[in-house]
Amino acid sequence: MPDIFKNLPTEIKKNKIKAGIFIGLSAYWGIILVGTFVSFS
Amino acid sequence: MDVFLPIAEVSVNIIAILSLSGVVGVLSGLFGVGGGFLMTPFLIFLGVPPTYAVANEANNILATSVSGSTTHYLKNTLDYKMGFMIVIGGSIGTLLGIWTFSYFKGTGKIDIVISLAYMYILAIIGTAMLIEGLGEIDKARKKIITKKKLHVHYWIHGLPLRMRFQKSKLYESAFTPIIIGLIVGFIAAIMGIGGAFILVPAMIYIIGMPTRLIPGTSLFVTIFVSVIVTFLHAFNYGSIDLILVVMLVIGSIIGVQVGQKLGESIDSAGIKTLLAVLLLAVGIAIAYDTFFAEHVTNEVVKIDVNNLNPLSMFIKKLSLEMPILYGLFSIVFAVVLGVGAAFIRLFFSNLRKKHSLKKV
Repeated sequence: MPDIFKNLPTEIKKNKIKAGIFIGLSAYWGIILVGTFVSFS
Repeated sequence: MDVFLPIAEVSVNIIAILSLSGVVGVLSGLFGVGGGFLMTPFLIFLGVPPTYAVANEANNILATSVSGSTTHYLKNTLDYKMGFMIVIGGSIGTLLGIWTFSYFKGTGKIDIVISLAYMYILAIIGTAMLIEGLGEIDKARKKIITKKKLHVHYWIHGLPLRMRFQKSKLYESAFTPIIIGLIVGFIAAIMGIGGAFILVPAMIYIIGMPTRLIPGTSLFVTIFVSVIVTFLHAFNYGSIDLILVVMLVIGSIIGVQVGQKLGESIDSAGIKTLLAVLLLAVGIAIAYDTFFAEHVTNEVVKIDVNNLNPLSMFIKKLSLEMPILYGLFSIVFAVVLGVGAAFIRLFFSNLRKKHSLKKV
């Protein structure tokens, strides 16, 4: 397993704000992509 | 205090429209963008149907861009040659955009297309600005200084038909500004925006224009794009509502002046991050409204033209009976308001200069 995955939990704990922003943005993008798919299908 | 809009056939709160357009105007003055990408969603939230929100915001952008570019014309900070090249592409893009708009209007999916276009544009720009803004704040905290490349070469620079742009001191393919104009015009026609938030970064990073010429040239291009959008919307769909346009123009012109003044004393990285959060918040609100909120079907109100007040009756009749004249009138009206605002600003600026000279 690459080091980046091993160190992920400690990195998230260290950069809580960055992790929060990343999760928030991913959720937003997920909603609009799924919403687009649902609207046009 | 509600006002009935005779063309959009909805009632809106005059204080809400004036204050929102004022706030968007302040943001436009602060960040140097038109603000259409914020004002159109706000109009939709206030109950104006998306088709009308797009058309009327385009008319409002026409007034503010005329006002801004007149100020730049007086300061001699405008590259006409580059501007006209972008306008050529912009005109083709606008016609393609209006054609796409008509296609989706015909299929009955125009409202969802407008909402989705906003969600994606706000998500892309908001994400990019948030990452850049946070990065700048982080670097400033850690006191890291990075050197930026002066000019990056893309495939677009290798295109033929190279020409000299004396004012910008550039030797570039005519296709570069034409392609950029085409994209901006297409987006402007569908979304009712000026497109400055796409045009300005493209002028800096792709064309490589001097910074002092960018706001004036961008506003100059926006005039032509918004004239075509306004006229085609007025002529094809009769969706320009002069009462709404007057409220929007008054609020945004005052707001822009306040924003420009505020911008002189605020840290840019902080503002960029704040704007990014605002853009994403508006995007989330549109996503919620489109995908999750229960949609209340508004009853179609049959309006009897004879029951309206004289001004609303005149606007309604003019729009129905003479759409070409009405389209031209809405353009001339916005141009006169814009030029008037620029000269009022010049008058007060000269007055302040005289006053400060007397003090010295």
